[in-house]
Amino acid sequence: MEEALAKSDFLAKEEHPTKPFVLWRPTAKTGLMSWLTTVDHKRIGFLYGASGLFFFIFGGIEALLIRIQLAVPNNTFLTSAQYNEMFTMHGTTMIFLVVMPIGAAFFNFIMPLQIGARDVAFPRLNAFSFWTFAVGAIILNLGWFMKDGAPDAGWFGYAPLTTRTFSPTHAIDMWVMGLQLLGVASIAAALNFIVTIINLRAPGMTMMRLPVFTWMTLFTSFLIILSFPAITIALVEIMMDRLFGTNFFEVSNGGLPILWQHLFWIFGHPEVYILILPAMGIISEILPTFSRKPLFGYPIVVFSGASIGFLGFGVWSHHMFTTGMGTAATAAFALMTMAIAVPTGVKIFNWIGTLWGGHLTMRTPMMFAIGFLWMFMIGGLSGIMHAAAPADAQQHGSYFVVAHFHYVLIGGSLFALFAGIHYWFPLMFGRMVSEFWGKVAFWLVFVGFNVTFFPMHFLGLEGMPRRTFTYDADMGWNTGNLWATIGAFVLGIGVATYFASMVYAYYKGEKTGKDPWDGRTLEWSLPNPPPEYNFQATPLIHARDAWWYQKRWRRRSPPR
Amino acid sequence: MRLFQYSSNLGRLARAAALAAIPLLSGCFWLDGPQSTFDPNGPVARHQQDLFYLTCWVCLVIFVIVGAVLAYAMIKFRARGDAADFPDPVEHSHGNPMVEISLIGASVLALVVIAVPTLKEIWYSYDVPVGDKANAYEVTATGYQWWFKFDYPNETAKTTDPTGKAVNAPFSTANELVIPVGRPVKINLRSVDVIHSFWVPKLAGKVDMMPNRANHLWIQADKAGYFWGQCAEFCGESHAVMRFRVIALGPREFNDWLSAQMEPARRVAAPSEADAGKPKAQFAAYRTFRRNEAGYSDRFDASPLESWREQQKPPADEDAALIARGRELFSAKTCATCHTIRGDGYIGVVGPELTHVGGLLENNRDELHRWIHAPNEVKPGNTMWVKGYIANAIKLTPDDENALVSYLESLK
Repeated sequence: MEEALAKSDFLAKEEHPTKPFVLWRPTAKTGLMSWLTTVDHKRIGFLYGASGLFFFIFGGIEALLIRIQLAVPNNTFLTSAQYNEMFTMHGTTMIFLVVMPIGAAFFNFIMPLQIGARDVAFPRLNAFSFWTFAVGAIILNLGWFMKDGAPDAGWFGYAPLTTRTFSPTHAIDMWVMGLQLLGVASIAAALNFIVTIINLRAPGMTMMRLPVFTWMTLFTSFLIILSFPAITIALVEIMMDRLFGTNFFEVSNGGLPILWQHLFWIFGHPEVYILILPAMGIISEILPTFSRKPLFGYPIVVFSGASIGFLGFGVWSHHMFTTGMGTAATAAFALMTMAIAVPTGVKIFNWIGTLWGGHLTMRTPMMFAIGFLWMFMIGGLSGIMHAAAPADAQQHGSYFVVAHFHYVLIGGSLFALFAGIHYWFPLMFGRMVSEFWGKVAFWLVFVGFNVTFFPMHFLGLEGMPRRTFTYDADMGWNTGNLWATIGAFVLGIGVATYFASMVYAYYKGEKTGKDPWDGRTLEWSLPNPPPEYNFQATPLIHARDAWWYQKRWRRRSPPR
Repeated sequence: MRLFQYSSNLGRLARAAALAAIPLLSGCFWLDGPQSTFDPNGPVARHQQDLFYLTCWVCLVIFVIVGAVLAYAMIKFRARGDAADFPDPVEHSHGNPMVEISLIGASVLALVVIAVPTLKEIWYSYDVPVGDKANAYEVTATGYQWWFKFDYPNETAKTTDPTGKAVNAPFSTANELVIPVGRPVKINLRSVDVIHSFWVPKLAGKVDMMPNRANHLWIQADKAGYFWGQCAEFCGESHAVMRFRVIALGPREFNDWLSAQMEPARRVAAPSEADAGKPKAQFAAYRTFRRNEAGYSDRFDASPLESWREQQKPPADEDAALIARGRELFSAKTCATCHTIRGDGYIGVVGPELTHVGGLLENNRDELHRWIHAPNEVKPGNTMWVKGYIANAIKLTPDDENALVSYLESLK
């Protein structure tokens, strides 16, 4: 026996020298070195989450500066050049450096635990993804400290405004390089997650027993590896144009700006689902837990996630309804866009079905989750209104669109991420976040968010275009903008409260034993915080909601 | 006593709060602003608004129904007491295929209600209806950073060639499109630099102006009026102030305007010997503008169309000597490199044509002076500032500015 063990990988340390000639295996368990060299999926998840929250501060400050500038007409708080940097970096930061990495934090931390794995499939690739992401994020923000300034052509970077002719400084080069690196990080991470979910499931964890969050991780990862190549190509082209004098977008030499838009949005629309599918996964975990009921229509929720993913690749040109695509293309994309509303609506119906007949315990994660349902419903319905292309001709590029996608991305993604952080915090750190401050934060965020973004629907319909650094006092936009600014500060205070209570809980929060919410999925079977190896013995799965039934089976007879 | 003190403080606080709330509540639903889509003035905008109302109603009905169910579930199934009171799972329901299928069916039906008129309106708003094509008026709008140029391809204007011979020329206006009332107007959309978007909310939804791509849209104004428009695609530093106007005139007034525009630049008669050297125009104080200020006068805001008509008349206190000096300076200070003034021999094409600039926009003395004095404060980063003033190190004395202002103002 001893002999057999000595030959196995577990004990044969001599056969894996810790310091080979070039690449030694890092062994630090504590301190800075351990964080820099870690390949543990939970620590990398934490790093993703922490950097996401760090950049959230940046993106949030940029948002507040934008709102101060627009609080009153003809304001001179920011110059137009500064304002353009603000909204460009606000969008880029919030999408690539906040919502995506916080989503990735959950993929890393939670997904392997939910499928009963000891780590992701390629732990070192995982570390590579994170550090590539970190470098990309730093490069994106480096412009603030450079003479040329931060990128200022919008997060969508429409050519030819981004070509050398119209943006001669290096600001756009930094934007291109930063995004390119973030793309590499995302693709590597997505491949890692796909391989993990396909191959490292515990015995008995069949695909149709996967927790919905893991399903959504899988779909999101597929969306990432299928959509990011498009923006990679677009960024290579604009880079070649800018640095090596090619003419993909250089209009004076016959370049076609429409090419950028197609490439960007064939990435950009799936990207929207990359931001919302993890959120839908989190909601599909939280609602059953706090309703004490299984998810209503599990297979339908999973398949609607898949069809959102598929249809998500067929609607990109609804971002381009005003580019003069012609009638047939416009009609086709309008119909596809309406079609994608069906699986999205189905999810809402199933979430309400989950609540129906349950015992709803209104803890903070549940409040954020139900807040998500309401806000996402509004954002989804205004999305349907955009699908009617001729009506969208009036809404496109106006504040109506700003209202719409903030309802989806804050009321949707961010509410769900907040719910998820609060929900999984005890598992991650072994401490509870204060319920009282959680609820205070929820109401501040909820009220502030609606006060900020609901008036924007009306601003857009009153003809206020997006991305404008000032507006005239006689346009009838003063009231709505003042409301939006007031709301933005309430929202800011709410978010600050939320994070303050998180930081407090991290150091001083009430300690908790395992499974504080009476959870349903496998991660709650672990002590908190989970040990480095996760599962002492690989669990055997017999049912969907594995941990819930494991708990019940111990106590009484198995379910029907 | 303390109680009284408290309540009076409270009362003061309440009054202050009420005062502060007035700007927040007043005009909360003021939806007929100059660029409001709720106040359509032409068939295209009206069709788009009808479709908007349809989608809005369908979505509202869905929201009310689904929201009512959600609210009911939240209230009815809320656990009273602690979760620990319910150690056992409630009756498990994993889903109901019939419910799912009927809900999917209902969603599809709701979408069909929107989809059919959507398709109809896509074709309607794309181009002038076939029966109306013969009656359509055609213009070409070109986007520049950060202004709009409007060409009238079917009109020819008069000018003089360098030898002084009268010849024909194309003519264009800047930031102001004048169209006939009641006729469909087909607008060809072009851009010479980056992507812009042509949007006059009261007449039609937007269509982008893209370089190397021929787009178009059509509009029609039901009645005479002054309609605000604005670039709706981010196009750089001064995107927010890239605004324009569409002025719809009755057939007779439109034709008068057109023939006035086709004339070469107006010449103010040279001063007589007796009047020479006696400045008439007073330039003591130009209005000072704050940065970013849009700067339209109250008179203009009250009645833009009337104000515009007034603008077409020459000012009473013109100073012929000053104007003549301005005309020379226009060339001496390299303005003519970029601007065309028909009849005065200036043929630059980079910037807007200024042949009748005094009649366009609200180009009063204050506004003209503002542009000439500090272009960068009107539209930050504009070509006139970057490639004109800075590149050519142009310095203007106050006298130069006065002369240029009165010259440009005289170009009605």
